[in-house]
Amino acid sequence: MFWLVPLFLGIDLSLQSPTFVAPHREVFEASDKNPSPFSLSWNFPENPEVEQEHNTKYVGFQNFSNVLEDAKFYKALRNTLIYVLGSILLVIPLSFILSLCLFQLSGLFRGLLVFCLMIPGLALPGVLSTLFYLFFHGRTGALNQYLVVPLGFDPVNWMMDPSFIMPSLIMQAVWRWTGMVTLFFLCGLQAIPTWQWEVAKIEGAGKSLLLRKILIPNLWHLALFAMVFLVVDGFASFSGAYNLLGGSGGILDSGLLLVTYVYQVAFPGGSGRFDFPGAAAMSLLVVPVTAMLLFIILQGRRRWVHR
Amino acid sequence: MRKLISFSILTGSVIVCLYPFLWMFLSSFKTNREIYQPTLLFPENFEIDSYQSLFSEQYLSFYSFFSNSLFISGLQALFATLITSAAAFVFAKYSFRGKSFLFGVAILVILIPKQAMAVPLFDWMLWLGLQGTSWSLIFPGIASGLGIVFFTQVFRKIPNELLELAKVEGFSIPRTFFLILPLVAPSLITYGLLHFILSWQEHLLPLLLLDDENTTLPIALSKLRDSSHRIPESVGMAAATISLFPVVILFAVCFRKMKTALVHLSLS
Repeated sequence: MFWLVPLFLGIDLSLQSPTFVAPHREVFEASDKNPSPFSLSWNFPENPEVEQEHNTKYVGFQNFSNVLEDAKFYKALRNTLIYVLGSILLVIPLSFILSLCLFQLSGLFRGLLVFCLMIPGLALPGVLSTLFYLFFHGRTGALNQYLVVPLGFDPVNWMMDPSFIMPSLIMQAVWRWTGMVTLFFLCGLQAIPTWQWEVAKIEGAGKSLLLRKILIPNLWHLALFAMVFLVVDGFASFSGAYNLLGGSGGILDSGLLLVTYVYQVAFPGGSGRFDFPGAAAMSLLVVPVTAMLLFIILQGRRRWVHR
Repeated sequence: MRKLISFSILTGSVIVCLYPFLWMFLSSFKTNREIYQPTLLFPENFEIDSYQSLFSEQYLSFYSFFSNSLFISGLQALFATLITSAAAFVFAKYSFRGKSFLFGVAILVILIPKQAMAVPLFDWMLWLGLQGTSWSLIFPGIASGLGIVFFTQVFRKIPNELLELAKVEGFSIPRTFFLILPLVAPSLITYGLLHFILSWQEHLLPLLLLDDENTTLPIALSKLRDSSHRIPESVGMAAATISLFPVVILFAVCFRKMKTALVHLSLS
């Protein structure tokens, strides 16, 4: 319910011409120094800056077409899609395998291990990026020292090489969410009724049959939930990239995510364009993309389950 | 044999998950020069300067950021759990006009990440005059589509006989709701915890909505690592270690309940 208001405001804002909204923030920073939490200022007509809103000029779909012509927007969109798809494709199978491994262990040990796996998901994303920056990346970093060099490759410059920025962001997402999804899958495995296992045993079902007839149908709705979660989180992710790249898109904008770009367009610290309407238009264009992605996921479920 | 394989996979992944955090904890005692050697695990000698400078608020008012973060996330989790569970109770157990439309709206709210709505939200909070206060974060945080969907699933599993009993006794709907609430305690705890974690990790909205004096921990942490490198890295590591504590403790306490709720939910 609540979020409909910003949605409508966003639609309204996205139709306005940029120049009229621009001086907003400065005025407010001066006037809004000492607000007490409960005195909601409903008396807005007295505020001079809201008065200005009556002068807003509507420019139709100008902002939308501006955004759609913006090459950087497509870059951000593509990066975000790669980020989301990459993290889904890695997290789901990985945590599926991990949960199967955990399922073979006994109770207390199992809980302890899941808890350990989940710790990266509990930490602040900013902390994860800082750790990534200090610990993993760099010529002498752990990734190069323990993984890349022993396998006989040249050390990779993770954050400076444009082709490796997205993989390192995806790696962070995988590191962060795998434990959480593993917990989901583990609980799903525990909820499978024992008679199904017994029937499989009596029938002498092989591994592939077990996978197709028991594991996938029982875990599918959890996987679906995890996917939806990852999609939404991927489109919203900002903190990791912000800490790693300092609010910019990184070298050649190859790490530019959608929310980062919206932030750059709207607020200082980025390019400082104060282009609220443009940013609002951009945020609204996210909606069809997420909706489409989720639609594809849900369609995929029909395929799999009702075969 | 199969146990051995799965055990080695698990050990490997646990090391990948935990080792960086161990390194982070030990790094809070290191000097800058030691931190820039990532393969070094133990510091030469344990210096607690970083914690001292953190607690004496030499670089930033750590206590106020910390308590601010706790306050915002705690209230968000509390209100969100209460409101979404109440809404979901009605969705699951009663029928009324426009129900499917409202439920569709709840789904829509999930589809649109609130970070993508940051700009209109900022505008709205300016209009309400809340911009800069903690309430500008708590207020938007209490509405959550995910909570409604989650709790609707939970309440569907409550037998209808209980409701009929309450009706026979002549209880009002709110009274019935509060009577049923203890039955779903594990789910309440699970959702509250998840919401707490998500709001604890929130970065963009506090960055936009809060004043610099009362921001939350994530922003304070990223400020510790500004480009000038004036502040020793160990202070950032110490702050990061402390920021992990509340979530991990809460999680450890509620872990069992959470698993119960999740297993129960996937029994369908």
